[in-house]
Amino acid sequence: MTPLVAWEALPLAVVLSSLVPGIGIMLLGEEAQRARITLNLLGAVAKVVLVGFMLQGVGAGASYAWRFTVLPGLEFSLVGDALALLFVTLSAVLWLVTTVYAIGYLEGGENRRRFFSFFSLCVTATTGLAMAGDLFTFVLFYEALTWATYPLVVHRGTPEAIQAGRRYLVYTLVSGTVLVLGAVWFQVETGGVAFQPGGVVDPEAAAAQPGRYLALFLVLLAGASVKAALFPVHGWLPVAMVAPAPVSALLHAVAVVKAGAFALIRLLHSLFGIEVASDIGAAGIVAVLAAVTILYGSIRALNQDDLKRLLAFSTVSQLSYVALGVALLTPTAQIGGLVHLVHQGIMKITLFFCAGLLAHTLGVKKISQMGGVARRMPLTMMAFTVAALGMIGIPPVAGFLSKWYLGVGAMEAGMPWVVGVLLASSLLNAAYFLPVIRTAYLDATPDRWPSEGDARFGRIEADVRLLVPALVVALLALASGVFGGSPWSPLGWTELIVGRGDL
Amino acid sequence: MAPYLVLLTWAAVALPVVLALSWPVRPLRKLATRVAPWAAMPALGLAALHLATPGALPGAASPVQAPSLFLGMRLGVDLLGGGLLALTAFLWVAAGAYARSYHRDDPRQGSFFAFFCATLAGNLGLVLAGDLLTFYFSFAVMTFAGWGLVVHDRSVAALRAGRVYIILALIGEVAILAALFALGAAAGGGILLGFDLMEAWVALGDRAPLVAGLAVAGFGVKAGLVPLHLWLPLAHPVAPTAASALLSGVMIKAGLLGWLRVLPWGGEVLLPGVGETLLVLGIVGALYGVAVGLAQDDPKTILAYSSVSQMGSMVMGTGLLVLLPSAAPLALGAVIVFALHHGVAKGALFLSVGLADRLPAPPGRGGGGGGGGSEGGGARRSGPWRWGLRLAVVLPALALAGAPLTSGPIAKGALKEALAELGGSWYAVLDPLLLAAAFGTTLLLVRFAVVLEARADDGETSHGSANHGDAASGRDRSWAGPWGLALPLAVLVLAGLLAPVWLVSLVPLPGEGMQATRGGGLPGPLNDVGSALLPVLAALGVAGLFLARTRPGTRPGTRPGTGAGTGLGPGMRGATDQGGPGFLARLARWRIPAGDLLVVVEALLRRRPDGPRAVAWIANRTREAGEALEAAVIRLHARLESRDLGLARGWVVGVLLAGLVLVLSLALGPLLPSRRE
Repeated sequence: MTPLVAWEALPLAVVLSSLVPGIGIMLLGEEAQRARITLNLLGAVAKVVLVGFMLQGVGAGASYAWRFTVLPGLEFSLVGDALALLFVTLSAVLWLVTTVYAIGYLEGGENRRRFFSFFSLCVTATTGLAMAGDLFTFVLFYEALTWATYPLVVHRGTPEAIQAGRRYLVYTLVSGTVLVLGAVWFQVETGGVAFQPGGVVDPEAAAAQPGRYLALFLVLLAGASVKAALFPVHGWLPVAMVAPAPVSALLHAVAVVKAGAFALIRLLHSLFGIEVASDIGAAGIVAVLAAVTILYGSIRALNQDDLKRLLAFSTVSQLSYVALGVALLTPTAQIGGLVHLVHQGIMKITLFFCAGLLAHTLGVKKISQMGGVARRMPLTMMAFTVAALGMIGIPPVAGFLSKWYLGVGAMEAGMPWVVGVLLASSLLNAAYFLPVIRTAYLDATPDRWPSEGDARFGRIEADVRLLVPALVVALLALASGVFGGSPWSPLGWTELIVGRGDL
Repeated sequence: MAPYLVLLTWAAVALPVVLALSWPVRPLRKLATRVAPWAAMPALGLAALHLATPGALPGAASPVQAPSLFLGMRLGVDLLGGGLLALTAFLWVAAGAYARSYHRDDPRQGSFFAFFCATLAGNLGLVLAGDLLTFYFSFAVMTFAGWGLVVHDRSVAALRAGRVYIILALIGEVAILAALFALGAAAGGGILLGFDLMEAWVALGDRAPLVAGLAVAGFGVKAGLVPLHLWLPLAHPVAPTAASALLSGVMIKAGLLGWLRVLPWGGEVLLPGVGETLLVLGIVGALYGVAVGLAQDDPKTILAYSSVSQMGSMVMGTGLLVLLPSAAPLALGAVIVFALHHGVAKGALFLSVGLADRLPAPPGRGGGGGGGGSEGGGARRSGPWRWGLRLAVVLPALALAGAPLTSGPIAKGALKEALAELGGSWYAVLDPLLLAAAFGTTLLLVRFAVVLEARADDGETSHGSANHGDAASGRDRSWAGPWGLALPLAVLVLAGLLAPVWLVSLVPLPGEGMQATRGGGLPGPLNDVGSALLPVLAALGVAGLFLARTRPGTRPGTRPGTGAGTGLGPGMRGATDQGGPGFLARLARWRIPAGDLLVVVEALLRRRPDGPRAVAWIANRTREAGEALEAAVIRLHARLESRDLGLARGWVVGVLLAGLVLVLSLALGPLLPSRRE
């Protein structure tokens, strides 16, 4: 099999496919709704198609790289390798669905020009940092992401939203600064910043000065851990819930938190190399932090009445599965961690879509209001149930596959305590998700919903533009589990990454 | 392999999956609900083929494979799965047909059959699974879909049972997963696990007993292993009748199959501790189930406890399997035969309860409304139904009790023969206890029959959930009678009657006594008739005496202390005069709430709603710490703003960024040239 498209600049095209609509929408007027939607969807579809070409090419053994020399010795590079594509594919596909969802969700709202413009820029930054070929490019997009997301978080303009946005900025800007400092130090220390499978740190140098390298690692970790929502710097995430549902969905599944998790992967695997990282004790620190975060997030999610807040704490917890997996030495665990990047994304976006559907259609935002809601919105709750079961790790939904690889990998690594953490977290997940499901299906339906709009949707339970994306991602979550053995499933692709030594 | 066999194997699992998935799609729902009762038909065909031509089907050596499904799904019918496949398919078809009538006027009929199909898919998947992961996947699907069957009624009792069911199921899943993680890691060579786990067990070394213990506990939840059986006496009875039959007849065996698939037996790894524990828990369960079951009022609860007790025998067989490699073939055969024998008999008994609730009305009670039409002969009309029902209760009950000429002595004989291999003090202790269990089982079944008899008398008064509106009772109580319920039940009873014939041809029993059975064609070793009959007769005698002395019907009152008593049946609810002074009367009043130990657990939980103190402490401290952290951040933020940094806020950001750029350029600038050279 040969690549259909062997165009080296394909990564750049992928980035531009959302950058151009982003700028274009900003130039269009607020009222130019049709043009805006066209531009947006064109960009989203184009990105999926381009990514599809790249997937096919990389699967066939090709590689894509586009470089531009900023200063002598300082390059801006976009590389489309297998690892980058894992993340890029996730964001491209979910961006397309979320765009459709957002169009339906925000119809008739204000400031849609600003919203959709920054929405596109946000995805641009995400794909950019996914394909960044070196630390410099990575940091550029990483910071850009902060700025692109801020207007989305404060979109509602309420005092609460402004407050949340401010908190978000404080957290991310401070950590961003630390990350930049770390990046500079790394450059000085090692002389190279291009990502390489297996790391760029010289093992002998690290062995000679483990303390120094550990300090360097910790600075970079401090920079990356805020977006990865590691305990104790996760505080911005539950607050940022005030954003509209599509934003939360994208934030939690693709953009910001995934950027943080991806930063951890790059840090552990592409900069230090997992061997060096564990020799100097860095990997162990990440694993312990992740384990603490997993349990902390799960415990905090218990007894939450606000659905989105529950989901936010669930994200805090689930995201650390990724960090935990990639911090272990065995390939099995690394596959589990990496694939959870995708699985968590698909499942969590389903949950947020459903939360948005409930809020948008019926005004239901709290779990205590959800009694019998499954009778009113059966398809929505079916999607929710699939995703929630997946989060707990119940087969055949995708989440189980992550858990299986993580668990076996942890045992291979001789760390039974990790298995203990995983299983305890599963039980906790069940303890906060199952009551929601039970309430929705079995409790009595109230006489009237908090704010059921006048809009009638015919025989369908809600606006199709919201419902179809939710069902699509729920099916994706199911299919990723059921067809886990296929080479084109997230799991299959992850096995390819690790098998090729591309991590 | 013939392509149609491959196709049939897939269809067996795929049909229920497709039917379950088509429920959310409204246009397909009606069709799916119509087909759903027969969803196990392809599997039944598969089982029939397996019976006719053993070894022709895709098996362990040549499974059908779908590498892209899950982590590479393999399906096949091997020696272990063949028998269980037959039981599973047969019972699901019978229960499906039964449920078709039973839920005909149920407004939630569609949802019942959706869960029915999903559960069936899991059950068939785990029986046909050709690798451990497929087995586990299916096991989990069955477990979680089964919840929908348990709570189908939406009654308070059903919801409580559902909650207990799901909590224990989750604990079981976690234990199973922990064991599988360890096995998966020990197997080396990757993530896929076949059923050939011996190498993994060897590699586990010292940790093998711990891992085996986890597996025992994990699957034990499903198998009703005492003391993990708490959910079972709640959930099995509360489900709709057809589902009860399936839960107790087949699904309970999934735990057993899990043990047989996962635990090490007959080979290099010896786990005497695990084997002995199973033996002890088995006999304890066999006796405990009977003892608590006798103190129940609800016929289905009595049956559920009988299942706990009967599973005890199979637990013993499994323990022997693990303990004694030399007895492995015997023990394996015995366990499977026992599972099939119990499955058919228990399924029939459960179905009879549903029929008892819907018997045609005796005259004068006006059940048929005006619609019945024909006149007179009401007593005779309901007569045959009553006698039919009695037959459908007595025949399977005799089999379970172990009466001669039924499948009972075959199963019990096989188990006993296997246990005899233990010899020595073990067998000396077990033998009399087994006798006691057999005695108790008969007593328990007598009690069931008496209670059911009373319930059939009461049939007209509401056994609430069974009647779905007037239309239902009108139709079911017309002269035609509930044939839709009776026919599947009759088929099941007939199958149980013929079990001595098909059991031995389905399961290769290596035991000597069984060989003789197969050769001579006489069901049940004749020379054992005496020993098989003894406990049954003794128990019948005792039960008869007991009934005679406590039953309010024996009114004459000539004998002191027999005139009154609550009797054994709740149906004799007029007998509230608890005046019986004697020990027997007190015994007859003795009741234990269903779920036995659960009551203790729940009482403890009520005292501490958040669970054990340590757990609550951790949860609360975590929450407090998190909230304190968040509050601190907010305070910090507020302080920054209150110090009139308001104006500078934009500045702060700007200065920070400017600083960044500066640092970047300062740091990189001098570095770059040197790197060039």
